[in-house]
Amino acid sequence: MKVDVDMSICLLHGQCVIAAPAVFSFDDAGDLVWVAEVDEGLRADVEAAADACPEQAITFG
Amino acid sequence: MTETVLTAPELPWLDLADPAFSIRSQEVMAAREQAWLARTPYGLAVLRYDDVQKLLRHPKLRQGSYRWPALNNVTGHFARWWESMLLSQEGDNHARLRRMANPAFSPKLITTLAPRFTELATMLIDRFAAKGECDFIADFTEPYATGVICELLGLPFARWRELADIAGEMGLALGVTFRQDLPTIEAATQRLFAYVEELVEARRAAPKDDFIGMLIKANEDKAQLSDQEMLDMIVLAIFGGIDTTRNQLGLAMATFVEHPAQWALLAERPELARAAVEEVMRVRPTVTWVTREAVEDFTYNDTPIKAGTTVHLLSQSATSDPRVFEDASFDITAERKPHFGFGGGAHHCLGHFIARGDMTEALKLLATRLKNPRYAGEVSWLPDSGNTGAISMPLAFDPA
Repeated sequence: MKVDVDMSICLLHGQCVIAAPAVFSFDDAGDLVWVAEVDEGLRADVEAAADACPEQAITFG
Repeated sequence: MTETVLTAPELPWLDLADPAFSIRSQEVMAAREQAWLARTPYGLAVLRYDDVQKLLRHPKLRQGSYRWPALNNVTGHFARWWESMLLSQEGDNHARLRRMANPAFSPKLITTLAPRFTELATMLIDRFAAKGECDFIADFTEPYATGVICELLGLPFARWRELADIAGEMGLALGVTFRQDLPTIEAATQRLFAYVEELVEARRAAPKDDFIGMLIKANEDKAQLSDQEMLDMIVLAIFGGIDTTRNQLGLAMATFVEHPAQWALLAERPELARAAVEEVMRVRPTVTWVTREAVEDFTYNDTPIKAGTTVHLLSQSATSDPRVFEDASFDITAERKPHFGFGGGAHHCLGHFIARGDMTEALKLLATRLKNPRYAGEVSWLPDSGNTGAISMPLAFDPA
């Protein structure tokens, strides 16, 4: 499953990091990083992250 | 005394604790031109857009209003709840509770709830529309905001008055008159907990698949969600949902009363309602500032900030900052940078999809049915500092 974040609207709230810590994280510089190709087993987490994103910046499929 | 940024005489001083203080004042605009930062009785205040945006999610800052009761020398039932609920938690505890609550506030819910919002708003407007006048708070924003929460929690609308009163009285805690209102706040907090305990008992006997049902299920494993955490969470949903939306819709009407052409435009183009919500929250947010606290010493903008310092991010000042909003006047058709009315970062408002959805539906209907709204008497306001809004708002309009 592919995961993408539209960085033109992302405001770095970090709700995805809370919802799906195995997929999304902040690096030392405070930038958002994510696993672009994730295991199907994490679908529920990614979905929760996409739902929780206040800016609705996450797409997956 | 050691020279720190808190005592630096060259920084402007803003008396945030004064009930007469207003973030919309000339004083704040002048301070914002003088410096990005001001001193206040509660710590520091950040005034400009870029700095508020960066500091909202700065890794050296934690959510800061957990200390609000302590800052006001207040202990008791409200303080106990306030200091332990979701918003005051950080790290793993916060993440656990937030993950649990998120699904009940997902954007998917809005699609199913929007028709119910419209139904509720129509029912309320029908009650007073023919008269051409109402108290906009008592007759609309209060029952509407409470009705939405009743809908979300599966409560009968008939009990809205009781919940609205409790939320309003508890809400006094977020104003600068917290300490003097304490007896009212404490009584309201105890009533709400009694109400919620009764609700959980009833729901245990007759389970439902909704927010409370979900929490009851999680509570079967006490390590996942303790009894107290469950009650605290439901109290937060009621408290956080009613008072904020009630106040924000009142502030929306106040803004439109001052900008009648924008109201007429909204009636003509109801598809602007969603943008109108955002624009109102930019110029007149009910939450006029967001609080953070430094978890360790750090330097920002060459300014050393000591661990434990409270930092108020003045959202309302930031979103009228001329550095970013060249023409900051109220305009529901303007493309704007994001406002901070829902806070930001890990503690970004949990209920924002619902709040945005219910306020959008309300404004859409109100603009088409209440033409030419104007004040029909004196509006009574909460202090402009802290969480603000109208207590009563006599309104006259031409029914459509």
